[in-house]
This record gives sequence, C-alpha cells and structure tokens, in this order.
Amino acid sequence: MRLFLIVFGLFIATKSFSQSDTTITLQAITGLQYDLVRIAVKPLQKVTIILKNEDDMAHNLVFTKPDKRLSVVEAAIKMGDKGQAVNYVPESDDVLAASKILIPNTTQTFTFTAPSNEGAYPYVCTYPGHGYVMYGALYVTTKPLPPLATDPNIPPSRQNTEIMVSSPHPFTLEYPLLYRTFMPDCGPAAIAVALTSTHSYCFDAGKCYLRYAWAGGFVDNTAHWKGNGNAFAKIQGNIYFKDNVTYPLRVGKADKLPDVSFKGYTLANRLPTFNYALDGVDVKETLKTLANEEGLTRVFTFAKPTTQTLYFVTKSDDGITYKSSVGKWQHGTLAIPKGTSKVTLTMKRNKTQTPHAAAHSH
Amino acid sequence: MKKHPSFPQLLSFLFVGYLLFGSFNDCFAQRDTITNYYETEQIKLPKGLRAETGGMDFMPDGRLVACFHLGEVMTYNPKTKTWKKFAEGLHDPLGVVAVSNSEILVVQRPEMTRIKDTNADGVADVYETITDDFGMSGNYHEFAFGPLKDKEGNLFMALNVASNGAGIRPEIRGQYDSLSREGRMYSCVPYRGWVMKYNVKTKKLEPYASGFRSPNGLGFDAKGRLFVSDNQGDWRGTSPLYHVEKGRFYGHVASLIWQEGFPRVKPLSLPVAQLDSMRTRESIAFPHTEIAHSPTQPLLDNTGGKFGPFAGQLFIGEMDYPRLVRLLMEEVNGQLQGACVAFGDGTGLLKGNNRLVFDKNGDLWVGHNDHGWVGDEGLSRIHWKGKVPLDIIAMNLTTEGFELTFSLPVDPKIASNPELYKFQRYYYKYHQPYGSPKTDVADVAIKEVKVAPDGRKVTFKLAELKAGYVYDLKMGELQTPDGKLLMNRAVFYTLNQLKK
Ligand SMILES: [Cu+2]
Repeated sequence: MRLFLIVFGLFIATKSFSQSDTTITLQAITGLQYDLVRIAVKPLQKVTIILKNEDDMAHNLVFTKPDKRLSVVEAAIKMGDKGQAVNYVPESDDVLAASKILIPNTTQTFTFTAPSNEGAYPYVCTYPGHGYVMYGALYVTTKPLPPLATDPNIPPSRQNTEIMVSSPHPFTLEYPLLYRTFMPDCGPAAIAVALTSTHSYCFDAGKCYLRYAWAGGFVDNTAHWKGNGNAFAKIQGNIYFKDNVTYPLRVGKADKLPDVSFKGYTLANRLPTFNYALDGVDVKETLKTLANEEGLTRVFTFAKPTTQTLYFVTKSDDGITYKSSVGKWQHGTLAIPKGTSKVTLTMKRNKTQTPHAAAHSH
Repeated sequence: MKKHPSFPQLLSFLFVGYLLFGSFNDCFAQRDTITNYYETEQIKLPKGLRAETGGMDFMPDGRLVACFHLGEVMTYNPKTKTWKKFAEGLHDPLGVVAVSNSEILVVQRPEMTRIKDTNADGVADVYETITDDFGMSGNYHEFAFGPLKDKEGNLFMALNVASNGAGIRPEIRGQYDSLSREGRMYSCVPYRGWVMKYNVKTKKLEPYASGFRSPNGLGFDAKGRLFVSDNQGDWRGTSPLYHVEKGRFYGHVASLIWQEGFPRVKPLSLPVAQLDSMRTRESIAFPHTEIAHSPTQPLLDNTGGKFGPFAGQLFIGEMDYPRLVRLLMEEVNGQLQGACVAFGDGTGLLKGNNRLVFDKNGDLWVGHNDHGWVGDEGLSRIHWKGKVPLDIIAMNLTTEGFELTFSLPVDPKIASNPELYKFQRYYYKYHQPYGSPKTDVADVAIKEVKVAPDGRKVTFKLAELKAGYVYDLKMGELQTPDGKLLMNRAVFYTLNQLKK
C-alpha cells in the first residue's frame, strides 16, 4: 500500500533553519489514547514519527492545522463506507500529515517537516468515533510549553501526565533528568535536575546544598552548548524557592557554617541521591517532588547515627512551609537530635506568598 | 627557445606547490600516494548525536567508549556497529579512561569522576567524585583535560587558565587571587595552568607542574614519560609539546602565583629573561601554519607494527588541519627533543583531530571536535593497508648536522644530490604577546650529503648548528629504486641541546 502522507509545499519551500531532526515514537494504547499527549518540536524541524499500534483496535494518526481537529474528525465520519479505502483521511488543506490505518501490533514510520508558524497542531485518530477522545497536540515552538494541568489542547483525562520534549541527545529524554552545567545564582559546579518535565531544582555541587527550585519546565542548554560554553543554562519556568541562608545544615552549632566536600551521586530509576560530607558527617540527600508539584521532600540519611545535634536553618521569607519527621523547630531552625539516622523534610510552597502559584492552579 | 628552469628554480616551484597543496603528490594522477598505504573510514553516528568528541578509549571487551560535548558517554560496538548510552549529564567531558566493561573515569569541567554501572543494566548509576580539589572561576576557558592513568594507577589531569575574553562568575570555587588577572590568560583560582596528579595512594590531587595555557592533550611515551601539548598564544610563540616533570615550570606565567614559595609579585612584572631562565623548553615546537595550529592528544603507537612502520613513536592530533603529526624524539644530553612530520594528509581524514586511540587490531580511531573553533565533528578510523610507505623514520642530531633514517632504502643517485634539500632555521620568541613570527630566519648551507650504502640513511653536514632554533628541512622528490615516493617532504627539528 502506498504510504499515505501529505506535506504541503508551503512548509517544504520555506528555507530550513532547524538545527536537528527529531524522531518520536508514538503509541496507540488501550483506552482510545496515545501514550504521549504532547510533543514539542521546533519550527521547520524534520520530524520522523514512528507510530506503533499497541492496542487491540485499529487506529491512525492525522496531524491537522491549529483548531481543525474536530472539523477533520467530522469530515472523516461523513466519508462513511468510502473512508476505509483512504484510511479515513479526508482530502483537506487542514490535514498536514497522516498515517494509514494500522491494525494491532503494526508500525508505520513517516516523516514530515514541522510548520514554520509556532502553534499547537492537533494530532488525532480519525477512525470513526475515536477522534473525540483520542488526540494530542504537536507543539511547534522553541518556548516552554503551557502547564499540562490547564492545557486546552489535550484530552482532559490526560492533564496530569508527562510531556515529551524534543531531545538534543541520541536518546529520548526521560525524567528525572540531570545536567551538570553552568547555572545562574549558583557556584560553577552546578547540577540541574528535572524531577518531572515541569518541576526542577538546582543543586550546588561545590557548596553541597539545594540552591533553588522551579516549576514550569527544566533548563535550556542551547546557548551553553553552543561553541565554548560561556553562557548559563536558561531556566524554563518560575523559581518558587531560593535558599537564602547560605548553607542550611549545621553540625554542633546552629551559627557555624560547616566544611563541605562533594562525593558524587547515585541514580535509582534515574532519581539522584547526592553524597557529601559536612564537618566529617557523611550525608546522602534525595529530593523528590510533592504531589501536584507543591514542593519538595528532602530525605537526609546519615552514614552513622549522628553524634552531635544537627541544625537545619531556614528564613521565614522563602515562601515555604517546612515540616520535619524528626526534631524540633524554633524560630525557623530545626534541631535534629543526636542519634538520628534519617530525616525527611517537607518543603511545601505557600500559595498565598508565591506569586507564580496561580499559574498552576485551576 | 625557452630555457629549462634551473634545478633550484624547479625546487622552489616544488616548495610553492607543497605549500599550496600540502601534499604535492595529490596533484598528479597515478602517482604513489598515501592512500596506497592508509585508508580512513567515517564511523556512522547514532541519530541525534552532536559528535564533538571529548574523549575515547576501548573497554576490555572491545567496545569503544566516547564522551561528547553535550555530556553523553556512548559505547560503540565495532562488531555490531551499534551505539548505546552509558552515561549522561556531564559537564563538557574532555577525556575518558575505561577501567572495565562497566566502569570508566572521566574528567569534566568541575571534577574527575568515576562512573559505574553497578546493576548491570548497561547504563551508569554511580557517579563518584574522585577529586574536585581545584578552583573554578566559572570562566568558559577553564577547560579540564585528562585523565591519563600511569602504571601505578595515578591519574594526571591538566587545567586551563581563564581567558580575558570573558570575566568570572559572581560565585567561584576555590580561593580567589587577582595577582595574574592582567594577562591575556589568567589564573585566579588554585592550580589553573597546572598539570595535576591524583595520587592513588594518598587520594589527594597534587600540583605537579606549572606554566600551561591550554594543555589539551596528555600522553606517555614508550618509557612512561609524560608529554603535554599546548596551544599558540601568550607565552607560546608557536604550539609546543612538553616533556613534563614534577616541579618544573613550562613558561605560561599566570600559574606561577600558585607555586609554593613564589614571591607575592605579579608574574607579568618579572623580566622576561628571568622567566625564560626559569622555564623548561618544549621538546618539540610545531611551526605554526607549516605543520600544526593546535595540537591535541599525543598517543604512543603501541601496536607493535600493526599500524605500519612507526611502532614506538608518538602521534599527535591536530585541530585545524586534516592531519595528524608524527613525532621523532631523541634524548640529547639527557633531554628529550626532536622532530615532527605530518601524517595522514590525503587519507580523507577530517579536521578537528582531538582524540586518538588504537584498537586491538592496530587501527587508529580519531575523535573529531570543533568546540566553537575550527574543526569537524564525528569519528574516524585509520587503517594501515599493510604496505610500507617511504617516510622518515628518524631524524637524529649529530655533532655536525643531522642524520635521517627512512622506512625504505632511497635511490642513492637521487638522494645524494645536495640541491634536493633545503635547511632553514628560525626560532619563536618567548614573550607575552600572542604567538611569535619566525625570528632570525636564515638558510643553512649544506656542506655534505652522504647516503648510506643500504640507502636507509642520509647524513648532512651543515655549515652551522645553533641551540634554541627550529631546523626546518624541506626535500625534493626522494624515491626508492622501484619508484615509491617520499610521503612527507618537510620535517622540523627543535634543537634545544647541541650534541656534546
Ligand atoms: Cu483510533
């Protein structure tokens, strides 16, 4: 069967300035849905789609112009019996590219060039009846995507799942994701970590502590990776927490800064645990996201039960409400008693005090 | 009727041709060329890889492990031609050493790191900081190179100085000192401009030798002696290769401020003559434009002859030209000095020859890089096809001149003609400005040319030999009795020590 693929001359003729091609694997899965509901590509980027039908029904995949999903879906339904022969793809200027109908456990690969105009381009299964729920959005953009939770271009049932950003590497991006890079407001040995595609933090590997956290995206290293590496990585999203006490953990005395040394990190299902020593105390620290990206939990484990009181110092204006599994708070300072092996600290964003919180709630 | 050109005229035409086309042999079809002896193949890259190669090594199981500018560490199985991710997220890794099939050592900007796959899923899960005991100002030019592992397991690395083309970050790592900030390249945090040794017994990073600028290449020779290359610039009249020994100073002044016991003076305020007397000279100077612009990693040919007739010699990569450089080193009065000659011109090699490694079959793998400068991206493999080319195997200083040794006998009738050779000498100034012109350039008259009875050696008596000069020899078309042509007809000897 002839590969059914339409690419408009308009998009080919425009001079290409995209930096790299991208390959995206998209699966039709149980429950009338695609595994990915958002794909981000750059304008004019060459996009190769590997469509796998992992479901037990037949599906296709049609890319349309912005806001044309429903009209294309309805045109496909109107084709009636004749639709099958043309894979339920109506002849229309609103269709950018399409696969054929894939029966279960088959795969089709096809390539097209992303439009030059930025925007959200729907992709949808036009098999009769599927198109009202089985869809997603191809974001043609170089900018961060809108928050998933309020994205009108994806099925409401999928507004809490991950997105896929076009990967600059020879592998797809998976989260958690970590880059050692030059970060603003951090020492030169910085580590940027994305816990999810929209919730990230910066760990200072020189000074051994969490510097800040942000929501809405991760980092863009494009400028940093260009040429000699002079530029900072660009933060995508809004910083909701910044450590403002220089170094929060103290050994023995609450007002004495410890000597620190960085020992590296381990990854468990990609989630990093940092190892460092402060005043001779070996610490492991794991940071995780709270539900709905409302903040972080930080789990500190000590190699041996502590032999001195440890202090965790905070300042009240950092927009965070702290809770600890161990110890007592006094004037924003947590005293962790001797003999402790593990502390879990919860850092919840104060909605009223965080100006960006509104953007992420309904 | 036209007069025939005189031989010297013809010779100068040949030189112009040589300069214009690099390898003169390329100009004519059906001549003996390098592709009769070596071939270069481009390795197919995985989709999505920006192959700015920072480091390469082979794992014991024969897989190539390579690290790249965007922080990836990938393995490549030459048998199945498959690429796989081993690690990711590193900060500009510029060197890798394979420890086992599941463990590597890497130098990235902020540290030297041990990276391990401990759960046998093929992807690293442990990133252990071996040492980060050096400063970072955040200046982009503070690249970190290495590691290079010696027989005892000690790990050498080299730290770039910062560039005045950019400032420093608001937050730095290490003790700040502004004493050398005025230079073109400066060292404002500890041990920038130093070669460092991570002592595997004490587990400490020790300052080893100072005076470096952009030391993008560390390697050992057959006797385990450490060599480090550097780039033309301030205090670098032309690009050098140093034999690096503990405690010595190699000429770039900014790093002196971290020398123990060094007085609190701006290094730039010291007389150049004094600095000159403190420094150790390069074993090999690479005449700028003639042979190299930006030498990279030196690598010993330890293939035992699987890569051709150069076993035991060092090769070194070159960024700006599509070639490598081969080094002909000798010991004179206890010091290493010697000559350099081009390698690989015309084999289809790319530019940006940043990293080199031999595989078990004796093929030379080349990792390319451009890194925002001149160069190329990708990986290549150079394979020796089994026939010996006519090339220079050695250039040795004698009390009266030089002795050249060839890989094959040369035709004595041709080779005994003194007009076939032109010696020039010049030096490069040791000074603060960027680079140096060839200085005190003079032709050196040849008093006598002798070809050994077996045709393997040609000896020259020269009118004058002076220490502190590069001796630049360009030759006409030497050939073997059966018509094989000399592959490289320019050779450059760095004469620091006269033979006593
Ligand atoms: Cu469907």
